[in-house]
Amino acid sequence: MAKTDPVIIVIEDDPSIRRFLRTSLGTHGFSVFEADTGKQAIVEVGVRKPDLVILDLGLPDMDGVEVIKAIRGWSAVPIIILSARSSEQQKIDALDVGADDYLTKPFGFGELLARMRVALRHSIRPQEPSQSDIFITANLKVDLINRVVSVDEQEIHLTPIQYRLLAILVKHAGKVMTHQQILKEVWGPSYQENAHYLRIYMSQLRQKLETDPTQPKFLLTESGVGYRLKIW
Amino acid sequence: MQSQQPHKAVISGALPLKSHLPGYVWGILAPLACTLIDWPLRHWLGPASILMTYLLGVFLVASRYGRGASIVASLLSAPVFAFYFARPIFSFAIHDLENIIGLVVMIVVANVTGSLLEKSKIQAELAAQREALASALYRLSHDLSTAQDHDTVAQIAVKHIHDEFGVASMLLNIDAENHLQMPSYLALPGVDLASAQRIFENRTAKQDNNFGYYPLKGSRAWQGILIIQAAQPFPWQGSELSAFIDTFCHLIAQTLERLQFAAQAKEATLQAESEALRNALLSSISHDLRTPLTRIIGAAGTLIESDSDLSVAERQDFNHIVLDEAQRMSELTGKLLDMARLSSGEINLHPDWNAIEEIVGSALNRLDKHLKDRPVRTVLPDSLPLLWIDGVLMEQVLVNLIENAVKYSPAGSPIDIGGLAREGSCRLSVADYGPGIAKGQELKIFDKFYRGIAESEQSGVGLGLALCKAIVEAHGGLIQAGNRAGKGAEFVIELPLRDPPQFAEPEITGSLS
Repeated sequence: MAKTDPVIIVIEDDPSIRRFLRTSLGTHGFSVFEADTGKQAIVEVGVRKPDLVILDLGLPDMDGVEVIKAIRGWSAVPIIILSARSSEQQKIDALDVGADDYLTKPFGFGELLARMRVALRHSIRPQEPSQSDIFITANLKVDLINRVVSVDEQEIHLTPIQYRLLAILVKHAGKVMTHQQILKEVWGPSYQENAHYLRIYMSQLRQKLETDPTQPKFLLTESGVGYRLKIW
Repeated sequence: MQSQQPHKAVISGALPLKSHLPGYVWGILAPLACTLIDWPLRHWLGPASILMTYLLGVFLVASRYGRGASIVASLLSAPVFAFYFARPIFSFAIHDLENIIGLVVMIVVANVTGSLLEKSKIQAELAAQREALASALYRLSHDLSTAQDHDTVAQIAVKHIHDEFGVASMLLNIDAENHLQMPSYLALPGVDLASAQRIFENRTAKQDNNFGYYPLKGSRAWQGILIIQAAQPFPWQGSELSAFIDTFCHLIAQTLERLQFAAQAKEATLQAESEALRNALLSSISHDLRTPLTRIIGAAGTLIESDSDLSVAERQDFNHIVLDEAQRMSELTGKLLDMARLSSGEINLHPDWNAIEEIVGSALNRLDKHLKDRPVRTVLPDSLPLLWIDGVLMEQVLVNLIENAVKYSPAGSPIDIGGLAREGSCRLSVADYGPGIAKGQELKIFDKFYRGIAESEQSGVGLGLALCKAIVEAHGGLIQAGNRAGKGAEFVIELPLRDPPQFAEPEITGSLS
């Protein structure tokens, strides 16, 4: 069975964190390889063809964002980044060049596993243009073919933009989307500066979909970074 | 509003030349008039008395028109008197010694009176001019005293030089490397920065090509250069006005230096404050970080040393201690780092349009674990406008306030979060049902490292509220603590409202209330 274990590459310069990840991930059925520099990481990813990459943004030899760019040049492997606190811009940069998700140090192992599962699920079932999907989580149901959204079996009427916004989050369910990514997908590249559009529409969506918009269940805010549709 | 008309320019190199013609006319007329008056009276008056009337005439001319006119009068009086009144009459010869002495006295008196008078007149005019200069200086120093930045000083200096001297000028400030900086406005055309820099470095005033360069020397350092544009030769060169311009420059230099000192003093205060913070930080760290560390080391040590003696439940217990305490330390270091960033005076706000509801939501989401047994009641009207704030930092404010409420109110009691838009501001409140804030502590609790309750009872470094205050104030807002009657503590944040952003799409209006 070892052959089918998902292959993970951990790129981290701190040996104890590497060890902790190797041990914990190993016990959860992953086969783990390690790299401690950006250059080595790029080589490892090329050779091992991993199912997922965990990348620390603070590498000694090169900028983590550059590592992501290099990997994205030829691979769509999911990348989860680890970054320090209070460096929202760094996270945004990494996500915008193609990282799939992020975790802020210090993080709990449970959290990491949850993020990895989401990322792996997305890579196993890549988004097809046809999107022959009905998305269901808890009491929220989004029928992407017929464009029908319902909460507790009650159909919710959404405006075209509200629907487009929700559909994008559903397409990337469980993953964080930066403000820029959402703006670009919903409104197009010329609306990158109009973050306030996003706030207003997100607030409208929450009012329609959430029981308590101030304590959202689905449409979570990743402050300073973007939004995430939570899968229950 | 500045008056468009500059008041009378003080500048004038020499005293104005008045026309002396009327004086000389009067110098001629006075002896003739005396002759006409005295002629009919010549039989009753002696020559001495008649001489006195001439002396009077000369004196009057002297007192009115000065030395030149009085000399004319006296020199004319002498032959007229000799011809008409001194024996032999109708001849210019004078026989009486008495009359000769009289005439000599008259000429001397005319001379002395005239020159005395002229002197006092010059004195008076000089005094008037000095007064004008002094009041010009007063006006300048008065205006300069209110200036708060270099640009204002430059504007005031240029305006005053124009008003007093009627000439254009420009003030060049220096940067940190002692290089002159061209002002972004009010620049004189034709000034060469390189030559200005050379003259500035030579430290001596210089006239060159219709420009007068005046390096500005403060009491300690050179502050910049004043460049005055005027046609050559400079009217004030070498005169009293040259000293006056020096005084002008001196005043400007002093003001610039005052600004520099003020900036330095501010910097020093900031430095002292951050020094104090560092010290307090160190003492705080030693206690607040060591406590959880002690627990972690203890628990982890026990796990390693006595692993086989521990039951599964005990091991689990120790593991939890390690995890909980490490998380506590993580939160603590986060706050310390935030505070250090904020108190270094370099708060980098990344403001954007943010929905309050969203920020409250993500704050509550972050505190999920702490809020398990606490009902949170949020009252946020849908009509709350977007706020131009740093979402990450404002979330931190709410997190700290909610954490605080959890800490200082009984388990299970609710927490109220409210929002309200008002004229020009937005009001946010976080309130609990605890014992409230002790009287007189409403301001103190925002101090760094201040804790309301003895440290053993509550964990934390006393930075949460200080952070809140720093962040809210960086947004131009206000944070206050108080008690709600009969309920508990309430923290109120007032944030300024900006004009809301524009929406180009019609859809948005349909869906908004």
